[in-house]
Amino acid sequence: MEEIPRSNGSPPLHSIYENDPDLRDLVVQFVDELDGQVLSIRAACISEDFATLRRISHQLKGAAGGYGFDPIGDCAARLEDDMLSDEMDIARLSERVEDLITTCRAAVRPADA
Amino acid sequence: MTHDEPKRPRVLAIDDSDLVHRLLRARLRHERIDLHSVHNATEGIRAARNLQPEVILLDIELEDLDGFEVLARLKADPLTRDIAVIFVSASNETMDRVRGLDLGAVDFVGKPFDVGELKARVRSALRMQRLVRMLAQRAQLDGLTGLWNRAYLDDRLAAEVATSVRYKKPLSLVLCDLDRFKSLNDTHGHPFGDEVLERAAAVLAGGRSPDVACRYGGEEFALIAPGTDLVETMGVAERHRARISEINWPDRPGIRISASFGVADLGCIDGDPTPEKLIAAADRALYRAKETGRDRVVGADRVEWPRIAG
Repeated sequence: MEEIPRSNGSPPLHSIYENDPDLRDLVVQFVDELDGQVLSIRAACISEDFATLRRISHQLKGAAGGYGFDPIGDCAARLEDDMLSDEMDIARLSERVEDLITTCRAAVRPADA
Repeated sequence: MTHDEPKRPRVLAIDDSDLVHRLLRARLRHERIDLHSVHNATEGIRAARNLQPEVILLDIELEDLDGFEVLARLKADPLTRDIAVIFVSASNETMDRVRGLDLGAVDFVGKPFDVGELKARVRSALRMQRLVRMLAQRAQLDGLTGLWNRAYLDDRLAAEVATSVRYKKPLSLVLCDLDRFKSLNDTHGHPFGDEVLERAAAVLAGGRSPDVACRYGGEEFALIAPGTDLVETMGVAERHRARISEINWPDRPGIRISASFGVADLGCIDGDPTPEKLIAAADRALYRAKETGRDRVVGADRVEWPRIAG
């Protein structure tokens, strides 16, 4: 089955657990919910709601790796770190946010789901 | 649940992220545990009290209270302070780990967690928890007879007196002393004396289920009989007396063991009931049982008899 590209440019990102029977269904659910997360991140960014942005990045940092998506967890961790740093640089922050969004959109469901 | 299947240990996960709860559930599915999930600190503290889990997996960043505060509250409450708490956090700060462990957490697992490590740490916490509970119980058990010891008796009797006063329920205490035990020891040796103590203790422990049998001192035992008045408790004591005197000693023909019993209930106490007064009243009754020939049950004098008994 051919995969539908979820973003232009980035190669598809597969969960390292997509063949783990204990986790497959959860990975599907995780990927399906990422669209909603991306929307929330965008909305938080536009309204400069940093508390929500931090909460989402913190949760993704802790959980994405558990679902086999280390790159998402890493992007979220970098975003959270920047938000926690004393001199928050808005330009750099939006770069981090875009990185996180691009990585989230590259995530694909397990091949035969 | 069938009787041959031991109860599964309970694990409580406190984390505000559903992503984490789902993952924990999938990852711990094959472990022999009951996993319960709550999403905030307030619910978590309540669930810890009600559920009495063996282990808590606690996130540091919660929306209502942070995990350190949750841990401090769990440790301050006698009902929850012995629960093993493992922090599960995305924080990589060494300071956080140190602070958590200093506050009384048993372990720390980083997020995202490695599955094998998570399972191993949960198992290790469960093992430790079992040992701690065993030790806590051991410290209240008498090594020779397996009955509760004097320290436990003191705590339990105080609690039973308070409960009986509050709910206006009867409460009795039996003191039991093996007759001529010292001469038995001198004639037949200490190993036989120990055997006598063990057999007599087994009789006292084998009575009614609400009764609490304790070793009070050398050859003296105590039995707390909650919800039971003087007359009924004297009946209980009489059955124990008879069974102790009927113990067979095939290796030592001709030996017969007996015990004397003193019984008192809250009606035998003048003024405000206290554990000390109840013990003193039962002790006076025991003294009379010894004085009047041993191998008998004597009840303490009632200060007042309930109207129903005339």
